[in-house]
Amino acid sequence: MIRATTTSVDDGLAIEVTGLGKTYGRGATARPAVRPTTLSLPWGQVLGLLGPNGAGKTTLIKMICGLVTPTAGSVRVGGWDLTTDRSRAMLQIGAVLEGSRNVYWPMSAWENLLYFGRLKGLRAAQIKPRAEHLLRDLDLWERRHEQVGSYSRGMQQKVAVAAALINDPPILLLDEPTLGLDVESALTFKEWIARLAREEHKTILLTTHHLHDVAQELADRIAVIRSGEIITDLPTRELLARHAEDRWEIRLAGSLDHLVGALPGGAQTSIDHNETRIWLPDNQAGLYAVLDHLRDTGARLVSVEKSMPSLEEVFLRLLHDPAAPALVSKEATR
Amino acid sequence: MTAVMPRALPRTAVGPVLQARLLGNEITKGLRLAWRRKGMIVVGTGLNLLTYLGINLFIGGGHVITGLMVRTLPALLAVTVAQAAAVNGSGGIAEEINGGTFAHARLSPGSPLLQATGRLAALAVEGLLSTAVLAAVLTAWFGLDYTGPSATVLPAALTGLDALGYGLLITALTLRINSIGAITHVFNMVIMFFGGMLVPVTVFPGPIQMVSHLVPTSLGVQAINTTITSGLAASWTDGTMPWLIVHCVVLISAGLVVYSTAMRHALREGALTPR
Repeated sequence: MIRATTTSVDDGLAIEVTGLGKTYGRGATARPAVRPTTLSLPWGQVLGLLGPNGAGKTTLIKMICGLVTPTAGSVRVGGWDLTTDRSRAMLQIGAVLEGSRNVYWPMSAWENLLYFGRLKGLRAAQIKPRAEHLLRDLDLWERRHEQVGSYSRGMQQKVAVAAALINDPPILLLDEPTLGLDVESALTFKEWIARLAREEHKTILLTTHHLHDVAQELADRIAVIRSGEIITDLPTRELLARHAEDRWEIRLAGSLDHLVGALPGGAQTSIDHNETRIWLPDNQAGLYAVLDHLRDTGARLVSVEKSMPSLEEVFLRLLHDPAAPALVSKEATR
Repeated sequence: MTAVMPRALPRTAVGPVLQARLLGNEITKGLRLAWRRKGMIVVGTGLNLLTYLGINLFIGGGHVITGLMVRTLPALLAVTVAQAAAVNGSGGIAEEINGGTFAHARLSPGSPLLQATGRLAALAVEGLLSTAVLAAVLTAWFGLDYTGPSATVLPAALTGLDALGYGLLITALTLRINSIGAITHVFNMVIMFFGGMLVPVTVFPGPIQMVSHLVPTSLGVQAINTTITSGLAASWTDGTMPWLIVHCVVLISAGLVVYSTAMRHALREGALTPR
């Protein structure tokens, strides 16, 4: 493998972005895509970079992998400066880029892996065992000699990920890796990425619109980018905790419209044809009073728990609240 | 926090040996992709053959004038190499940009120029194979007699380089110009008309002859013809060979400069992938 040595250091960062910014155009037509951003990613961490379309996620990732020249700032990948040590920096990265094929459709999966392995400086003898391992792992071994263009979208994306991993890079940049995949393929992918993070300790920078399924479950840390600016960068649990609400959520089976009038002030309800949800302010006495009332009316209780927002809810709050405070951890700006 | 930090290879690994392997990798990829579209190459070669025969029949009033064909066939072969380099170079890079593989292939220790060189080398092989087929078919069919073939190796090689320089320039322009396909076809037509494929450039009036010498492969074809009829020394003394060398150097240099500039521009504008 191209990773020849492994060094233990105290302050090693996989990705270090300092004042990185990008403005397209000049003068009156200048359009900032990413405002000067400082971000760091320790080895082995999974960072979910979230944002709406056009927020600057892809531009930021492309700057990190050297596919877009920044107008300000610098990037270090695996300790190597992208400007002065590009060749070495490239050996640290595997990438799956958004919405693109990433691999050559007229070539077979096997030929693609040989090409991308050699592209990273490996010899055929080094590539073949790794390629076999990846293709078997992804259930593509039997069809390895077929043209990638004949594969399903999920299989094509598997080949793209295999190509990104062919030289066993320590850092993975995954820009919308589940885009266009069906539910089953997306789930397979999520499990695979989770394994890369947990078992192989890859450092992963991930963008996705599947906030709950992918980002919340995989990311150690979440950064939210809005209009080219990172407005939040916190460990996932801390981010959710900061947006936790001091209220209880009671779930009941069935549509119980008649309950609405009997609830105390401050309660909110959501009723559909097979479930009723009640949110109460964090008041133990009030909670017990409502539970007593529900027992008396014979309502079927499903669950009672402290209400925690989903990542989707937090994300939407951050995006739609112009006054949302910047929440950035020390780690992010180190 | 103590982290495990992987490091890349020591300095020597990103040296000339690796660069040579990366170049070989690009050539192999180019040849694989060419093989996948072999049907198109066969059709293109066949169309070139038919077009050339049609032109010859038109000029000869329904007959092929073998004396003329002997002098225009080198131009057909040069046009074939130039077309392979320009059309497939341009089309290939446009396809890769739209497909995303162009950007992906940049995640490599290799330089953009090294990758472009590999791409062009594969196209040269493709063009030369078509050329070999055309030359073999026409020579055998019409019993064309080429004397002193060994002496023509130098001007032929320089003509090939000239055609590749043109291909590199068009490939580079593809990174900047959206409608490069149409422009390439116009340029190819100019090369067909003023490169000596219809009639030798020497039959043109003086000013047109001068202008035609600016057209890629034109000087090369003239040098080949001069070498065939009067020997290599004659092509040096009449100035064709020195100007051919100048033409090659200028065209290849222009291709390299434009490619480098266009790559820097594409990186600035985020144009390695569709935006």
